Amino acid sequence: MILAAAVNPETYSNADDQILRLQRGDPEALTAILACYQHRLYRFLLRMVKDPALADDLFQQTWLRVMEKIGRYDARSRFDTWLFSVAHNLAIDHLRRQRSSSLDEPMSQPGAYPDDSGTTAADRLRSNARDPLEELLESERAEILAAGIQELPAIHREVLSLRFEEGMRLEQIAEVAAVPLSTVKSRLHRALDGLRGAMERRSQGRQSQ
Amino acid sequence: MKKHESEHDAIQTMLALYAADALNPGERRRVDQHAGDCEICRRELLAWGAYASGLTQLPQPIPPQGLMERTRMRIVQQREAAAVRRRENLMLAVLVVLGWAVSLATWTVMRAVVGGSLVVLGANMVSGVSWFLLSTVFVWMTAAAAAAVLGRRDGVRRMYEPVS
Repeated sequence: MILAAAVNPETYSNADDQILRLQRGDPEALTAILACYQHRLYRFLLRMVKDPALADDLFQQTWLRVMEKIGRYDARSRFDTWLFSVAHNLAIDHLRRQRSSSLDEPMSQPGAYPDDSGTTAADRLRSNARDPLEELLESERAEILAAGIQELPAIHREVLSLRFEEGMRLEQIAEVAAVPLSTVKSRLHRALDGLRGAMERRSQGRQSQ
Repeated sequence: MKKHESEHDAIQTMLALYAADALNPGERRRVDQHAGDCEICRRELLAWGAYASGLTQLPQPIPPQGLMERTRMRIVQQREAAAVRRRENLMLAVLVVLGWAVSLATWTVMRAVVGGSLVVLGANMVSGVSWFLLSTVFVWMTAAAAAAVLGRRDGVRRMYEPVS
């Protein structure tokens, strides 16, 4: 159900090879790895910090840090998990310096939503029927959701991005954020609740106008 | 009745994670079983499913133009600066060793020339202890001066490095 955006398996097996070359000090491998991960890493950082200029700077700092530590990277673990954990640490450090408040402020509770029925719950979630109107509505919904995400705390934006955009398993997210699996689950739950709450506030705001 | 209500409440707290595919197989089965008989939970699942699918289709940001090139340049600059620093540190270490070697050689020659005794202000300047103390002072003063010069040069270089 969760889709990793624009993941090409061939590109990633190539990336593994490039990482080994980079560890051996091959400078040409750097360009290839940068190209391979630039969209995903920039998107993740932008979701975390919300500011394009800051995401740009953190992107560069992440790669500088990666180059400093590449010798210590264990090739048996996933490179993207390691890369995102480096980016996570830099982004969190920056956000902590930026504001004195907690990165995990409490979120509002959700309400209810309407719609129809089906066979098993899993089947119902995999509806494939699409027409142009539905696609338009979907893209509009995506824009509204993106705006709603902006209202969430950084650690909730992070967990949503890693789960739904990067398609990471919960264990990987735990590794990136350096927290226990149970914390990832509770953050994911609270992030979704918070997002739903934000959507409801928007909907109520629209109705009252 | 009460048992059903408490199961319903428990399932309600799992629906968001079900949609996020974050439940274990046992928990998923439990939700499926309950949702088969519960209209409210079915609706909730649909709602959460819409969120989950919406989250996989968020508008995708495009990295700023030239970001890759700027990053690559910064890495190259950092590597060059690190290489220069390593070279300079090595040079400093070589100078210190050379300083000690010259001092030792000079001591040997001086002892041979003055016959093992050169008394200045009541102290024999070519005795092992005096020579060692004097050499230490000279070597460390030289090393400190060299480090200060290198450090200053490094600071100036960093001042002129591009920020991004």
